[in-house]
Formats: sequence, structure tokens, C-alpha cells
Amino acid sequence: MTGGTGPSFAPRREGGFEREPARRVFAGELRESRIHFREGQDEKSPSFVLLPTGARCNRVFFVGTLTEKKKQGEQNLFYRARVVDPTGTFFVMAGSFQPDAMQQMARLDPPSFVAVVGKPSVYQTPDGAVLISVRCESITPVDRETRDLFILDCAAATLDRLEKAESTPDGARARREYAMDPAIFRKMAYEALAQLRL
Amino acid sequence: MDFSHAAERISQKVMSHGHAVEKTAIETKLRRLVEEFGVPLAEAERTVTNELAREFSIQGLQAGGPGEGKTLDALVPGEWVTVEGKVVALASAPSPSISQTGIVADQTAAARFVVWSRASAPLLKEGNWYRFESAVVDEYRGSVTLKIHSGTTITEIPAAGTIKPVLTPVAEIRPGIVSVRGKVIQEFEATHERILQSGILADETGSVRFVTWKEEGRERLNPGTVYTIFYAMADEFNGRLSLTLNTATVISEEGDIEVSRGDARFEGAFVHLAPGSGLIKRCPVEGCNRVLSRQNYCPVHEIQPGFQYDLRIKGWLDNGVETREVLIQRAATEPLVGMTLEQAREIAENTPLGMDEVFLRFRDALLGRYFACTGREIDGRLLVQQCTPIRFQPERLTDLLNRAGGSP
Repeated sequence: MTGGTGPSFAPRREGGFEREPARRVFAGELRESRIHFREGQDEKSPSFVLLPTGARCNRVFFVGTLTEKKKQGEQNLFYRARVVDPTGTFFVMAGSFQPDAMQQMARLDPPSFVAVVGKPSVYQTPDGAVLISVRCESITPVDRETRDLFILDCAAATLDRLEKAESTPDGARARREYAMDPAIFRKMAYEALAQLRL
Repeated sequence: MDFSHAAERISQKVMSHGHAVEKTAIETKLRRLVEEFGVPLAEAERTVTNELAREFSIQGLQAGGPGEGKTLDALVPGEWVTVEGKVVALASAPSPSISQTGIVADQTAAARFVVWSRASAPLLKEGNWYRFESAVVDEYRGSVTLKIHSGTTITEIPAAGTIKPVLTPVAEIRPGIVSVRGKVIQEFEATHERILQSGILADETGSVRFVTWKEEGRERLNPGTVYTIFYAMADEFNGRLSLTLNTATVISEEGDIEVSRGDARFEGAFVHLAPGSGLIKRCPVEGCNRVLSRQNYCPVHEIQPGFQYDLRIKGWLDNGVETREVLIQRAATEPLVGMTLEQAREIAENTPLGMDEVFLRFRDALLGRYFACTGREIDGRLLVQQCTPIRFQPERLTDLLNRAGGSP
């Protein structure tokens, strides 16, 4: 728990450290990601998931409906949750390395709107299926308006990425690795937006 | 390769000191160094020049063409130069290998100087004029420095007029020595016990962080007062500019100046609430105001049970492409979290989790929500004056539907 004031005396930033932005992504797009890579040799260098729309993300931000949460494990307690947006489902985890997120999770009751900040990673299940899960840094209850704002924000970000991908190395890599039609994601954004009109 | 130019330069210099020297002999030496030993021509020129200087016992003879009589605004890193200037400030030497450091100025500019202990140079006096022959121009953290080594000759010279330092607008400060006129608009909590004061200085054009390290005779500046500051050291570290005032002459001014408005704006989702947010306790000692630890410990004034409560938000806004650290003081915090300082104090005193409970309520009110913040940006951190929640606008939905539905 981090109330109080102690750490404010510490130097506020490590040399050269920059916080990775939280990419806005729909569940329908994150689900299609397969490439997970690390930039640089250092153990501490950030790892990224390459999105099919051609941007790398170390951190993601999304808002959706918490539909299910489960506490699992005996010694290593962790929570598994499903958060649904208009395009699909995010698999969210909070383990003992994210004590704040675990406590936040404990206070939530599905169904409810939640905002999630977390780090995505790609897993292969024993039967060969690929699963993208998000290790959450925070999960907080929000209202419907915030959810609606997120849909706007995420649709705009998705369209921005599609436009930019034509001229960036990450965009070229995504086209090569995923070979997916950009129209799919444009349609995904459109359909998510269209739901708001109802 | 043509050695005649370099040979000509060298022989001219030696002759100007009244010694005869064979130009072809110089050329032969140069050729030998360059062609047989692979020495770069500039280095060969220096070697030969020094050799002749020793041979004829000439003081301060130096290689290179334009080295003579430089003004301080024309120093280029890597050069050997001769300059004349007034020592306008002396600072304590940061290391035993340095005997003196300070600032030398002439009519055109000012520069930092460093006298190596090994130079066994005479101690320079503040306010005196000197001629530095064969000093080396170096660059340290982006600012030009004059290095005085054992080959440098220092002569005291009569004062060459009075120097009027040129004032630099704050927005145009670059690493080096600068003189500025500005108003102290903010003080920071000291992050280190050696810091006497740190804060922000602003003029019409912009703002810059400043720091004064604890040292005999140094005084704190008063917030809200305008100062003219001569010969401060501007450093850049991790891309952030900072003025160190220890070498500076600081004169407080009457009156006020208009400072640049804080009009940086950032919109995004609140993705992280940092420790130190919520209800905090501040040191009550006059002029201190530092944040106390949970056990009421002030790094300077020790245990302070008579603390004052305050509210603030420290955290990160994120627009999906960039993140921005934001710092929100009490006035803007209260409406944002829907809690006054008094209410926060009651919560802290009447709930089992105490101050943590306030932090948790802040978190629920902020995290994952969208805000637009305006304020002053310093070093990539936004000091927020105003922060409002972003509202859903149906026009934006229509625009985006058109954009997504339009032909690719």
C-alpha cells in the first residue's frame, strides 16, 4: 500500500528513464497479436507486443466491462478477470507482484465498468493455442461516460496507427508478420463506435 | 601533403619572438612526424611548435592559426587559445585535482574556467584581470570551459574597462555562463540536504529551474521578487536546463515583471497515482514546507509533531502516445477529487486506514479517467493550474464514424 509520503524524498527520476505510454487497443486487435520482443540486451530493457496495426506496446490502457473475476492459487495468490469491450475480451491478471492491483481487484464486483492499465504478454498454452493476457498495474471502477470516452479515444488511436503504419518500420514488420487486411481494424473501430449511437 | 603553410605559421611565430629559424628544417620535421609516424598534421604542428619554444625558451608559444587574442564568445572546444578576461566569480573546487574554478568574463561573454592542481598556477583573485596564454578550450555537459594546465601562462594585467554582462532572455538560455533577470515564481522542496534552495525563475519569455547549493555567504531568494543574476552557470543534464547560482552575483530589484503564463496543456487518461499523493503533512518551520514522512520526520528539522496538512496529486497522464507527469496542488485538487482538505483530514483521523484511505479515494476518483490539464511545464513535468474532466462530445463520435467508415 502506498499512501503517505515517504518516497517523495527520493530522486524523482532515474537517468534517462522514460515512462512507456499506455497504448489504446481494442480486445479484438490485441487478441490477434503474436510477436513479443525485447528491445536491447539489458535484462531491464522493456519488452513489447507488436500490434497488427503496426505499433509496439509495452503498456496498454482500456476500459470495458468486468464480467468475471476469479481468485486462484494457494501460496501464490492471483486474480484472473475478463474485461469485455465491443470487440472482444481481455484476459487480465493480477498477481503478488502487483499487490495494489490485487487489492483493487478484491474491491470490484462484476459486472461493472473498469479502467485497466497493464502490460500485455503473449503465452502459448500446452495445447498450442496462443493467449494474450494483460498483467494489470491498476484496475479501477469508472462510469459509463469514461467507457464511452475510451471507445472514442481507442477508435481514433486505431485509425491513427493504421495511417502511420504505412511509413514506419514497425508498420512494415506488422504487415510482414501478420499479413492482415487493415480494413478489418477500420471496421472494428467503426463497429465499436456504432455501438455508442444506440 | 603540403607542409609549407604549417611551416610558415610556425616560423612566423618563432621569428616574432626574435629568433631565426630555418623554414625548410621545420618542414622536414613536420613531414617526418606525419609521413613516418602517422601523426595528424595539427598535432605535428603543435609538437614542432613546442619543441622550438623549448629550444628558444619562448613562453606561451602555441600552435594553430587563430589562437591569438581570442574573445570569450569565440571559443571552440578543442582549441588552444590565449584570452584576456576578468575573474568575476570563484567557486569551491569540487575535487582535489582542481585547484580553482570560477568564471572569467570579457566584454563579449563569460566562460567557466578550471585550474588543475598540477598546473601549479598562482591563485587567481576575484575582480582581477588576467591574460591566459595557451589555455585549452573544452566542453563539459554542453558548456564551454577554459582549462588551465601546466603549459598555460597566467599574467595579471591592468583592468581593460568595465564589463557590462549581456542579459539573456530565459527562453534562450543555453549551457554555459549566463546573466538573466527574472522573478522567483516557485520554490521546490529540497531533495538533498546540500541544497539551500531550488525553484523556478521566470521572465516574459519562459522559465527555468534554479538551484543554490549550501555554501558560506549564500542566501535564499524570496519568492515573488525580481532579481538580476550575473554569471550563473547553466547546465544541461538529462535534457533539463538548470541554473546554478553559487557563482552568481544576485541583485534584488524593485518592482515586478510580467512572467510567461503557464499555458502548456495536456489531455489524457490518468494512468498512475504516485506515492506522495493524497493527504500529506508539511513541515511547519517558517520557510521550510517540506513534506514530512509518515512519522513526521523532516529531513532538515527532524520530528515535527505540529505539522500542517495539505492535499496534492502526483501522477501520470497518458494520451496513448506520450505520458506526462503532473503535479496538482491543493486548490486544483479539491474540486477534482470532490474532497476538501478539512474532509480529508476527518477521513484520515476517523477511519482505520487513516491517510491511506484518502489515497484510495483519490485513486478511485482519478485513475482510468480522462482529464485536460493546463499549467506550466518544467522539465517535462506539468505544474497544473487547472484540471477539468473531459466530457463526452457527440460531435466527436460523428467525426470518428465518418473517418472509420470513409473509404480507405
